[in-house]
Amino acid sequence: MTDFEFPEFYSFPPFFTVQPVLSTREKQMALWRELILKYYTQRKLKTLVVHECPLWKNKDIDRQLSAEGIEDVMADLVKMGHGEWLDEQKTRCRILWRKPEQLASDIYEWAIANGNIGSVCTVYELHSGEDVNGMSFQGVDEDLLRRALSILEDEGRCALFKGDTSDEDGIKFL
Amino acid sequence: MSHRRRGIGVGRGKASAKFSKKAEELKATSLQSAVETVETLKAKLATFAKTHQTEIQNDPAFRQRFLQMCGPLGVDPLVSSKSFWAKTLGVGVGDFYYELAVKVAEVCYATRSRNGGIIAVQEVFDVLQKKYKSGSGKKCNQADIPIAIAKLSKLGGGFRMVKVGKTEMIVSVPTELDQDHMQILELAQSDDGSGNGGCVTADDVVQKLRWSQDRVDRAIRLLLQEGMAWQDDYHGVSFFWFPSIWKESGAFM
Repeated sequence: MTDFEFPEFYSFPPFFTVQPVLSTREKQMALWRELILKYYTQRKLKTLVVHECPLWKNKDIDRQLSAEGIEDVMADLVKMGHGEWLDEQKTRCRILWRKPEQLASDIYEWAIANGNIGSVCTVYELHSGEDVNGMSFQGVDEDLLRRALSILEDEGRCALFKGDTSDEDGIKFL
Repeated sequence: MSHRRRGIGVGRGKASAKFSKKAEELKATSLQSAVETVETLKAKLATFAKTHQTEIQNDPAFRQRFLQMCGPLGVDPLVSSKSFWAKTLGVGVGDFYYELAVKVAEVCYATRSRNGGIIAVQEVFDVLQKKYKSGSGKKCNQADIPIAIAKLSKLGGGFRMVKVGKTEMIVSVPTELDQDHMQILELAQSDDGSGNGGCVTADDVVQKLRWSQDRVDRAIRLLLQEGMAWQDDYHGVSFFWFPSIWKESGAFM
């Protein structure tokens, strides 16, 4: 497994103290979001278990986020649409590399660009077909994909219908 | 050689009058020669510039020496592109500094959210070196950057050079940085050997600079507000780090 390349700010001690100045704190939160998303996506991990997350502590500079700091970072991640709590105790969080809304618009734009409006494709083709090489939704897990599709359905941009297997479920772009 | 108007002797007697007149004539002559000399030199400089147009545009060291020749003659080849000099130098030098100024400003803006609007010239230079490695743009050296900044400050927006200790830094925000702020930055920069390059505690400042707690707090507060300083709480002590200096010290790279 390739080593994760930590960004420069991970070695910057203040990164582990929640900043008192609002504008600086916002930048800090954005950096933490970026770090979490990159790390979890590269490792292909879909769930962040709070007390097991190795990012909160950097031994090399002897700094770590306080419990409050961790709460703040997680709350921000969820608020920004990149995380979803899987339990009420907030111990496990599902990581959304791209928000369902973003995926939805990416999919629809792809459909337009590829002349797929009015035609049908399967769920399988959307996440693993040849035509989606390089797209943000390539390889995305089905659950997330379906959420994106239901957003499109709500917007009237597609119609969904059942196939023999869930992979064969169809989407008609409108 | 034209004679200037005859001076009126201040001295007494015929001898003084004659002496004064001679003195005036000499003065006039030397002034005339001096003026002619400068004009000749300027003309020679113009010829030189035209002949060495390419070197001036492409060789930073050569360009530096050329600019040094211009200074004493009161020649500024960096003014507007319609000038005699721009034509002589082939739309080179003035535009070069303008283009560089734009690139420097871009780096400053891009890093502003990280360092609060203050950045070391060295860091800007390193970024530009990396970015423009392929030599499609003209080469520059570090000394070119302050000249480009001088051009930028004319555009307003607060671009200016400041010196923190021995380090030249560029400030790209209109924030008033007074001596107190500069001194804290300088303190943060000095490495006392314990590897603390780039940070200070309030106590450090009180002890080393002998300021009141109030004065320290006020200065640090502004630096924090501007985003030039970030807070680091470690075992109950607050350290204040400056991204612009931390980067420069390369402590963790």
